[in-house]
Amino acid sequence: MTTECPFEPNVIDAVTSDAWTESLRAHVASCDDCAAAAEVAPWMARFSGIDAREHILPDPAVLWLKAKLLQTSAAVERASLPITRLQIAAYLIIAACWAALLTWKSSALQAWINHFSPGHMILGAAGAEATASMSLTVLLAVAILASATVGVAMHTILAEE
Amino acid sequence: MSAMPFGAAVRTAAPLRPERSMDEAAFEAFYRKTAGGIWAYIYRMTGDAAMADDLLQKTFFKFLRSNPSIADDDHLRRYVYKTATNLVFDHFRETKRDRARAYEWMPAEVRPDRGDLRHDMARVFADLKPQERALLWLAHVEGNSHEEIAEAIGVKAKSIKVMLFRARKRLGEMLTKKGLAPEVTR
Repeated sequence: MTTECPFEPNVIDAVTSDAWTESLRAHVASCDDCAAAAEVAPWMARFSGIDAREHILPDPAVLWLKAKLLQTSAAVERASLPITRLQIAAYLIIAACWAALLTWKSSALQAWINHFSPGHMILGAAGAEATASMSLTVLLAVAILASATVGVAMHTILAEE
Repeated sequence: MSAMPFGAAVRTAAPLRPERSMDEAAFEAFYRKTAGGIWAYIYRMTGDAAMADDLLQKTFFKFLRSNPSIADDDHLRRYVYKTATNLVFDHFRETKRDRARAYEWMPAEVRPDRGDLRHDMARVFADLKPQERALLWLAHVEGNSHEEIAEAIGVKAKSIKVMLFRARKRLGEMLTKKGLAPEVTR
């Protein structure tokens, strides 16, 4: 049998209140479950009562307020999820563009950067020569990517604030 | 902060079905009715008052997040007990190793077996498995039916009879072994 013995609650009550009846005694003698319940019921009753003191519980008003605040912040988080995803995508695209540009024009960029080294500066060859070593398209790409990077970073900072 | 009675017995029921959302006053009334019993349950499961406070708050946060209706108190109580049980079991899973180690290294004078009856009783109860503690507390202190216990601890209702029998036998053996078994007058 896997169903609860219908007398089990009565047995627990009888043990804790010491109100046995003859029929209940007879039942306990023949029911293993009720006998086991009767064996531990007095101890459980005593155990549950040993700390019968007043315990200071959190104020329900504070809990209510905290729960509402948590709900609000969760709603804000849910609402901002598409924006966060877009930002992540933007960062990934920009990073990929930078990587592609640096790989594709690495030697030209290296040469362009070298033109600004102190040696070249002293020789006075930095300005026009440096610009000439870089195509206008690459310079434009660098400028656009730099602006996009700053733009996305500013958006992230402002969104968080 | 308000004082709440400790260990008030409650009955539990089935999952929530939002009908009319609970307002603050209804929540406060429900909380005052159930929180004492829930706290006592969590406290006896964990043996840690601070943890009981923490898990009680988490239980009611989850409860409020579920957008409770005010239709049926029994349903709400069932839901709260189920949530509390899940949180307590999660807590045990998270801290299983830490607890074992902490007790090993605890100085003898601060271990919970300091000789007085209260600590002996707490120690015996703590030596039971978490599921056995939940079964015994819900059956004997909260007076829940097997079906209600099954819902709270997340097992099939027909398994409860055997599980509860084993838990009672185990507790009985432990009490006899420690000389704490009370005399049953039948």
